Amino acid sequence: MAEYTPFEMIAYTGSRVLEDNTIVFVGTGLPIIASIHAQLTHAPGLGLIFESGPLTPVLEMGMPLSVGDTRACRKACYLKGLASVFELTQRGHADFAFIGGAQIDMYGNVNSTFEGGTYKAAKTRFPGSGGAGAMAANCEKSIIIMALEPRRFTPKLDFLTSIGYGDGSPDYREKSGVMGSGPYRVITNEALFGFDKETRRMVLLEVAKGRTAEDIQKKVSFELLISPDLKEMTEPADKDLKLLREECDPDGYFLARKLK
Amino acid sequence: MKEKVQSPICRVSNLDDKQIRDCNGGFTWWGPSPEQARKTMVQKPKGLIDKRTNIKDAIAKYVKDGINIAIGGFVNTRPPVALVHEIIRKGAKDLTLSFQSNSICPELLAGAMLVDPSHLSIKRVELAWWGYEVIGIAPLFRHLCQNSLVELDDYTNYGMSARFKAAAMGLEFLPVRDHGGADMELVNRGKMIQSPFSGKNTYLVPACYPDLGILNVTAADMHGNCRLFGAHCTCPEIAMAASHTVVTTEQLIPLENIRTYPNLTEIPYTAVDAVIEQRFASYPGACYGNYWFDMEHILMFRSASEEFRKTGNKDHLKKYYDEYIFGCETYDDFLSKIPYRTLKKIRDMDGGQPMILS
Repeated sequence: MAEYTPFEMIAYTGSRVLEDNTIVFVGTGLPIIASIHAQLTHAPGLGLIFESGPLTPVLEMGMPLSVGDTRACRKACYLKGLASVFELTQRGHADFAFIGGAQIDMYGNVNSTFEGGTYKAAKTRFPGSGGAGAMAANCEKSIIIMALEPRRFTPKLDFLTSIGYGDGSPDYREKSGVMGSGPYRVITNEALFGFDKETRRMVLLEVAKGRTAEDIQKKVSFELLISPDLKEMTEPADKDLKLLREECDPDGYFLARKLK
Repeated sequence: MKEKVQSPICRVSNLDDKQIRDCNGGFTWWGPSPEQARKTMVQKPKGLIDKRTNIKDAIAKYVKDGINIAIGGFVNTRPPVALVHEIIRKGAKDLTLSFQSNSICPELLAGAMLVDPSHLSIKRVELAWWGYEVIGIAPLFRHLCQNSLVELDDYTNYGMSARFKAAAMGLEFLPVRDHGGADMELVNRGKMIQSPFSGKNTYLVPACYPDLGILNVTAADMHGNCRLFGAHCTCPEIAMAASHTVVTTEQLIPLENIRTYPNLTEIPYTAVDAVIEQRFASYPGACYGNYWFDMEHILMFRSASEEFRKTGNKDHLKKYYDEYIFGCETYDDFLSKIPYRTLKKIRDMDGGQPMILS
């Protein structure tokens, strides 16, 4: 087995979570790479939505560097603007939202607005909700990528940008007026999480080879539920790494993080 | 309206009451009211007149202190950079900016304010997102927020799009299925109400009626009928929401072509006040079918911005404005400073995305 990076593991796991003949509404970076990998392997019928306007493009010009990249429009089946694609999500056309963020809590609520200080004088201000808040509200299921660090897996967010299960009460999302069913998977390079149907709390489903549930709990600042059927995360095979490196992100913009 | 309802949001995050926007002070339009915007439209001549002009005259006519300017495009796609350069040259005080997601345009305006606030200043921003995506965060936006230099009205991308759409429809608001149950409910001027039909909680976003919409479009005729290829972003909604709309177009096409395929017109001439043919009007952003974005130029401006944010040293930032904006009489003068090889490269990078101009 070849060596792989944390970003490659996240992209590969993201691909595994996606299903054939569904629609995924993607954010910039690893979600796009994961979706391309899924299309090239087990999910040729996976369609992508980019928030600038395109539905189900053919990404034959290379990976779009952002969700607004003109390449994301290539050979789309339907191409209007932001209002039309978000309205598709409200009506139930998008199965998955695939987003990232800076903090997540046990109910899958996500912060991508600011960290530290106050809203009006933030210590670190991020670009803001963008599409994420709307995607998490109205795509049917949310998939969230997060770095596995105690300050990111936090008991309380500094700001709730993208709705998960709120305070965990059964009718929280209904009272919020949103349409999607909520968080589905949280992907890190060392663990894959889901959510408990009864309590809506985060559940550890899979751990990377050589890690234990205790190792993962140490990196999470709230109490995790552990699946009774805890599995080992599948590692990307050589053919997957070849696809990721040569087809999905050949210039290494996200997998190799050349820019930073 | 029925008594104030809310989702159970206040139980979830660390956001405290002091940070929450006080909506009890009453709502005011940050721009014209729907009635004023309609009156402006009613009073315009509606003939198929020649609206061609130049950027300097259009900006001189429509940009005034205190107005709300809506910015078209989406992040690095079809940003109206040529028009923003002229707004910076002209200068204006106490502007409100409105957009969903943008990069270089608000960042250029913010930099102009930080270089010389007596020449240009931004008072408020209605937005969903401000950054460069793959290239990184927007340093000047971060600086503005961390130093509380502008007031924000903070929505999702759909929220901002729905707000322009509401104004394009002549409405006061639209119900949306997002913001509720997130702190996004607390940092903008929307309101949760009970649906008068089902009784369920429903989030309303107020319409956004800008004084001025600035757009770069793929093709337009001299009367302002516009075609858009690639993502529409929220350009049609902005054009129809704004009291006045100025468009640059990569290419002028005859009215006859518009009449041949009227279904391809995304913005009707009645929504447009001024048309300027300007190639590369989104540079260093991208314009589908014409050119891709120029990452190197954006990185150059961004690194001067980041240096200012980190050190407070304005020298490189000021130098950018002096060289590329104040040192240029027109946008063509600016483009003349960009090497031909760069413009050729970004044209090639577009890959000849298909458009219909006939």
